[in-house]
This record gives sequence, C-alpha cells and structure tokens, in this order.
Amino acid sequence: MNSLKNIVQDLSLKVVSGDIEREVSGGYSSDLLSDVIANAQKDDIWITLQTHVNIVAVANLKELAGIILVNGRQPEDATLNKAKLENILIMLTELPTFEIVGKLYEMGIHGKKRK
Amino acid sequence: MDNLIKATSKTQDLTYELKIQEVMDVNYQIVNSSMTVSSLREVLRKKRILGVPVVDNDELVGIVSIEDFIKCMEQGKLGETVETMMTKDVKTLFADEPLIHAVMKFEEYGFSRFPVISRDTNKLVGIVTKIDIIKGILKKLETVDQHEEERRYRASHIFQDIIADEISIQLKYYVEGRNFDKAGEASTGLKKTLNRLGFPPEIVRRVTISTYEAEINIVSYTEKGEITAYIDSNQVKMLITDKGPGIADINKAMEPGYSTAPGWVRELGFGAGMGLPNIKKFTDKMTLKSTVGKGTRLETVINLNNYRNENK
Amino acid sequence: MKLKEIKEILNAEVLTGEYDTEMEIEIGCSSDLMSDILAFAKPGVILVTSLTNIQVINTANMADIKAVCFVMGKIPGANIINLAKKDGIVVFQTKLTTFECCGLLYKNGLKSCSYSTFDEFRTYII
Repeated sequence: MNSLKNIVQDLSLKVVSGDIEREVSGGYSSDLLSDVIANAQKDDIWITLQTHVNIVAVANLKELAGIILVNGRQPEDATLNKAKLENILIMLTELPTFEIVGKLYEMGIHGKKRK
Repeated sequence: MDNLIKATSKTQDLTYELKIQEVMDVNYQIVNSSMTVSSLREVLRKKRILGVPVVDNDELVGIVSIEDFIKCMEQGKLGETVETMMTKDVKTLFADEPLIHAVMKFEEYGFSRFPVISRDTNKLVGIVTKIDIIKGILKKLETVDQHEEERRYRASHIFQDIIADEISIQLKYYVEGRNFDKAGEASTGLKKTLNRLGFPPEIVRRVTISTYEAEINIVSYTEKGEITAYIDSNQVKMLITDKGPGIADINKAMEPGYSTAPGWVRELGFGAGMGLPNIKKFTDKMTLKSTVGKGTRLETVINLNNYRNENK
Repeated sequence: MKLKEIKEILNAEVLTGEYDTEMEIEIGCSSDLMSDILAFAKPGVILVTSLTNIQVINTANMADIKAVCFVMGKIPGANIINLAKKDGIVVFQTKLTTFECCGLLYKNGLKSCSYSTFDEFRTYII
C-alpha cells in the first residue's frame, strides 16, 4: 500500500479537494465513466482527463482513493463544489496520462487484473 | 518544368522525413593518425575514396581529404604521419538528425563528406556524402506504394492538363447526422484526395484534423450537414454547414472544456469540449456563425504559402 | 523502441496481420478522448486506449498515428480491423489495463509527449 501523502509529495500534485490521509492499493486510467464504473476497484487512484461533475459520483460509488486530473486540466466549478461537499480527493498535474501513470508505476502502484 | 517542381517538392519532404542513419554508409573506411601519408595514398587509391575519418582507439580524432594529401605532396611531406596533416576540428552530424540538416551543412561548409556520430555513445557510426543522400531519397521514393503513387501522379497532374490563369478545385461531402459508424468518412476521403493531389503531409494533417472535428460535431448534434473544400494555389478553404440546433453562446463554446454534449457522445470519446478549440488550433483562420434553431456555418482557411516556416 | 518490443512488453496480440516489426516508436500516449489525441499526438506514437469504436481508427488516421493498442482484452469489430488495415494502422490487443500498459512502457523507456493542454489552448482563444 502506498500513502496518498507520499504520492502527492513525490509527484508534486496539487490538491484541490478532499483529504490525503488514505492508502492507495492500485491505479486505474480511463476517460470513459462507464468503463471506470465497470472496472475500477476500491482504493484505486483514478487518472483521467474528464472534468465533468459526474467524476465525483463515480469516485464515490466505486470508493476510489482519489482522482488525478491530467494535462493541466481544472475541474469545472460544479465538480469542485461537489467534490468538497462529498470529501472526494481531486489532484491536478500538468503531465499527460502516459507520464503520470508511468511515474505512479515506478512508485509501485500497479493496475489490478480485471476480475 | 512543372514536373520537376513537383518532384523537387516531394524530395524536399523526404529530406525532412528521412534520418541520416537511414542513408549513411556504414561500411566506411577509417585510418589511424600514426599512419604515414604515403600509406594513406594507398588507402585512398585502393578504395577509390576522396576522404577518410581518422580514428584512434575508437575515438574520432580527425578527417583527411584528397586536398590535404595533394598539399602534402606539393610540400614533399609524404613521409610524415596523418596526424600532422589531418583536420582536427571535425564537423560531424548525429545519426538521428533529419536529412535536411546534412543538406544544410553541405551547403554551409562545402565539404564533400561528414562523419556521423551516435548521440548515445558519441562514437563514429557512419559517413554521409551527397551521393548517399541522393541514393537514400531515390530508394525511399521507390518504396512508396506503387498503386497509390500512380493515382497520386494522375491527380497531381490535373493542374497541368487544365489551361487557365487560376485553377481551383471544389470538393463536396454530405454528412449523415447521428450515425457514428459513418462519421469520419468525409474527412478520410478528403485526406486521401489531398494526399493524391500532392499536398505536404503537414498541410494534409491540419486540414483533415480540423475537418474531422467539424464532421464529428455535425454527427453529434445535427441531422445532416455539408462539408465543402475550396482549394486553389494559395489556400484550402473549408465551409462546413448544418441546419442543426445552433450554438447559443459561441464564446463559451470556444472555451476548452466547455461542452453541451450528451452522454452518448462522451462515452464514444468525444464531447469533452475540445473540438472547436482544436479547429482553431489547426487552422489559420476560423469564422463561426450560428443561429439558434436555424443552424451553424463554419469557415476555416489554411494558407499554403510558407507552411514550413510557420510550423517550425 | 521497436514495435515488436512493445508487443513483447504488453504481451499483445496483433489484430491486423503482418506488420512492420522494426517500426520505431518513441512516444507513448494514452487517452480515451479523441480530440485530446488529435490535438497533441505526434507521428511516431503508440496510442493506448480502452475505446474500441471506429473513430479511434479515424482519429489515428487523421493524426498520422501508425500503431494503436486496445486494452483489457476488448476485441473490436471486424469493420474496425478492416478500416485499420486499409489505412495501414497496426492494431494490438492486450489483456492488460491502460494503467499497466502505460506503466510498463514508461518503465521500459518510452517517452511521453509533454504538453499542457490548457496553456497551449489559451493562446488560441480569440
């Protein structure tokens, strides 16, 4: 298990909502909400380009450890408000998906096998 | 004359696409610096070459040419070593540089050959001469798909067979709305046609990416639309029209990330609010007019002049 | 990195038949949003995506992408494979997730095309 604290620090992520006192067990990368609903697993860290308010609901539903928005994307206002309300962790990075996933992988966070 | 210009522009493209390592000679001759000038003469004569790199212990230390040798001969220094006569400040090229860099260096220095160095190991990996460049380009030209090449040839000669002071081509594509399986057919057809007409790859890429985004918009939001390309010697102008719902706030729609796309579009990989910004990014001019309830009219222009400089 | 090495690393299957095993791929790119790919992909990238509709191939074609990898064992329809063959795009399929694919390729030295979407876009806004 990796702590979110370490991840945020090591990868210089900007936290805009939620708290980082939590462990991460794996990673999932997708920009399709239905795919995340179907395949992401509890305590995964989710990497996406999507900034739409629905990402908060998905993270909540799947009990994900947090969301990383890539490519310098900012959450929409509605997304940010809802994330704060529901205490969903949203982190921002300038890096593209490929690179941030690569760096997480190097820290020992892997994608889990699909059940 | 026109044929020559067409062929030359194709060759020019290849000098950007090909890398030096694809054309360089890897079975090159080397000498070491302690060799005598008279032995050097034997090497140059036997191998019928006009110059050779000097390598000591795997390191490139200099280069000698036939001119250096003639100078030595005039001064009666045939017994001396290569080290005394070689050029020590060697101009080199990296193996992964595009051919155009070599062409520019040949022009700049007037040399007839350059040693090629690996960027990773810093060691000599080949020699490149003007002949190698010509051979490499000819070989590449041959490997382009024959059939497509023939079509390209025919299409690109339309211009020569028509006599007029100005020639423009108009291409029209009808787009069916809501049908995601067919979306992209117009842009794919346009891409193929522009390739056949002999447009530079970068121009084709910009025209078709921007058109494809517009086509996806027609399919996502409207029942049907039309895409027309007007091509002349200066520009490619695209006119994309539909009778769909229109855009309520164009400024807002131009903001990256702003989208009114329905869920089904998002799940198909579009509708993330980047389509219009993409069109803006890839075109030189973009004019968007829309009336709610009536439809949308998008006009884009991509200039054909100096495309290479603009994209540096 | 050569395309055949990528195939090994991802334990992938080739869906489009014979391919140029020596093709040089320098950059990895992963996205399920096609406009993102159109905006930033450069020739010489491999695209890793969980989307398997025909627009992935059209997007690759427009952006001059020569290799695409579908993840999680998703088998695309025959129309998609046929279009890819026609456009000369190599299609791989792997059982791994997008996350695993990117992690493994990055670990093995594939570069990423660094960019900042919004900053670059802002300069284009009227």
